[in-house]
Amino acid sequence: MLPAPPEAPRSPDPPSGDFATPELRLPAKRSELQRGREYADQAAASFGFGEPERFQFVFAVNEAVTNAIRHGTADQAGTIGLRIAAHGDRLTVDVCDCGPFVAPAADDGTPMPDHGRGFALMAKLMDELEVWARPEGTTIRLAKRRRAMSNRAKVDRG
Amino acid sequence: MSPFVIRDDSSDDIAVIEVDGYVDFDAAPALKRSIVRQIDAGSRHLVIDLSAAEFIDSTAIGVLVGALKRLQESSGSLAVVCTNENILNIFEIVGLDDMIPLHRSRDDVARAA
Repeated sequence: MLPAPPEAPRSPDPPSGDFATPELRLPAKRSELQRGREYADQAAASFGFGEPERFQFVFAVNEAVTNAIRHGTADQAGTIGLRIAAHGDRLTVDVCDCGPFVAPAADDGTPMPDHGRGFALMAKLMDELEVWARPEGTTIRLAKRRRAMSNRAKVDRG
Repeated sequence: MSPFVIRDDSSDDIAVIEVDGYVDFDAAPALKRSIVRQIDAGSRHLVIDLSAAEFIDSTAIGVLVGALKRLQESSGSLAVVCTNENILNIFEIVGLDDMIPLHRSRDDVARAA
């Protein structure tokens, strides 16, 4: 179940915090997905995500970028936008396009559907998923928290 | 250099499709074409070997599920070889492990046959 788009403000402030990457304007072409993943992976590594969080962060960003390329609308230069920022234990990414939000297909009960898993995966892998649907475009904001080191140490010791 | 390579290795009605690199929305159509080519050529039992795959996305998962449905219509089967824990974790989240037998090696597939 998707969170309801926020009532106000109408668009998100850019992510900010301990560090913020320069916005990546990515040509809205499927051949550019690798560049989007590299951008996300570098930020995840700088933030200090280990595995599996690093892979999960990149996976979720890839899904959001894929949706923007597949269903969204590029700007006049043919690009979509990505911005990543860290604040405390949260790494946040905004994926923006200039089109209306295309909601994921509802689960119609069809067994083994061929598509429609992207949003569910994003929600499962990230701690926060927000959709900012507004007339001038759509922003998907995803955030993932770093696990406390003390918790990880406990897991590592079994 | 392409980040995605497919190698087909078929004999009788069993085909192995070996996939390297990053299987995303860009690469998924090539994977689908490769699968369809094998099924159209008479393969009824398909093994997708993801041992060298570094990344898959939901589009690629959709291609695997589509292949499974098509093979089941003709009493065929689909198996996936995967050793990447991150990818296996994604398969578990979407319940792919309940639909498609997942193996650690091609030898495991042969033993299970």
